Amino acid sequence: MNSAESPTKMRRYDCLERLAGWVDEHMLAVTSLSSNTAIWSEVRPNGPNFMGMNMGLCVPFALGLSMAFPGRTVIALDSDGSLMNNTSALLSVGDSRPSNLMIVVMDNQSYARMGPTASARNADLEGIARSSGIERTATIRTHAEFEEYVRPALRQPGPSFFRVVVEAETERLVGNRRRVYGQAMKARFMEAVAAHPDYQKWNERAALAAARQAIADS
Amino acid sequence: MIESPLPAPAKVDDERKKARMGPEAVRIVTDTFKSEGIDLIVTLPEEPTFSLTEAIRKDPYFTAVTVTDESTGIAMCGGSSLGGRSTVFVTGIAGLLVGAWALSQMSIVFGAPFLIMASYRGDFGDRTGIPGSQLALFKRVAEPLLSTLGVPYQIVAEEKKLQKAIVDSHFMCHSYATPVALLLAGEVLW
Repeated sequence: MNSAESPTKMRRYDCLERLAGWVDEHMLAVTSLSSNTAIWSEVRPNGPNFMGMNMGLCVPFALGLSMAFPGRTVIALDSDGSLMNNTSALLSVGDSRPSNLMIVVMDNQSYARMGPTASARNADLEGIARSSGIERTATIRTHAEFEEYVRPALRQPGPSFFRVVVEAETERLVGNRRRVYGQAMKARFMEAVAAHPDYQKWNERAALAAARQAIADS
Repeated sequence: MIESPLPAPAKVDDERKKARMGPEAVRIVTDTFKSEGIDLIVTLPEEPTFSLTEAIRKDPYFTAVTVTDESTGIAMCGGSSLGGRSTVFVTGIAGLLVGAWALSQMSIVFGAPFLIMASYRGDFGDRTGIPGSQLALFKRVAEPLLSTLGVPYQIVAEEKKLQKAIVDSHFMCHSYATPVALLLAGEVLW
């Protein structure tokens, strides 16, 4: 589903702001350690956000969350440099095919302000995703396409993969370090997921399993 | 033709068949996983733990996911465990070395509570047929690496200690908020 090159690229902020408006409070989001984290923490400040996943780990971490919450949509907000560090993760997604996982790669075709990534030249990220076994894919260059593909996919069976071509930022964006990184972020995430009725504490799960086992043994 | 006074050397393939987790150890592990509520198993197949992962794959209690690389597997375990699902990553010691980047993130940065079971190639008794230089590398690097990454570990070489090791490690990973590794060796594997 490639579209023609748009003369002006979209801004990452505008895309993520739109996406945040379509995401409900039950959907989980994982962001790569890029401008995605700074912007997402601003456009979706509350809710189950796990932010700042370092190189190559955004998609597989989201894949794990999709296994923990099979009834909820999990969105991996990755970036081109991060994904290219571990395209193998797409093979694992295409193989296990979790129906609740959406991957959105904000592709600014550059390593921040330090020169182009391979997606600016020959690499076809959407093609890699599709050939990995992910059937619902698109390369998106306009806001109309963004709404056409991404919005409905939030509530349709996946997995899905969207490469969103955006302009490269001219300055570094950082979020509120006290809220969006490390242990403070994790605490906020855990608080948000613990409120979900389908979250089960590990020791409660273990106690239930032991009781079931005892009944089976008797 | 001169007859050799020495017995015929065992074929490497025969040695490798022996270097797998036996049925009793497999039973202990799967039963303990069930009693602990561990039902998501992430793995990248390797010979010494193959009998375990095959048993898990055939058991409908478990969800078994085969990943294509160890970083993906470790990060995936991080996501599922922080989402509340009790998860174990079954791999080999080489896999832990390959996944060191992901392990550093899941351990030091995010404190994800999941269990790792890794065959400890290179530990005493290993006859898997891997070149000695590789085995020496594993023995030299693996334990210092886990220590540096802040991942508690213990070597389990006796079947009778397997169940308690799993229960204690599962408790520990949640209590300490960190991945915890069980390095399988000795009679558990070979």
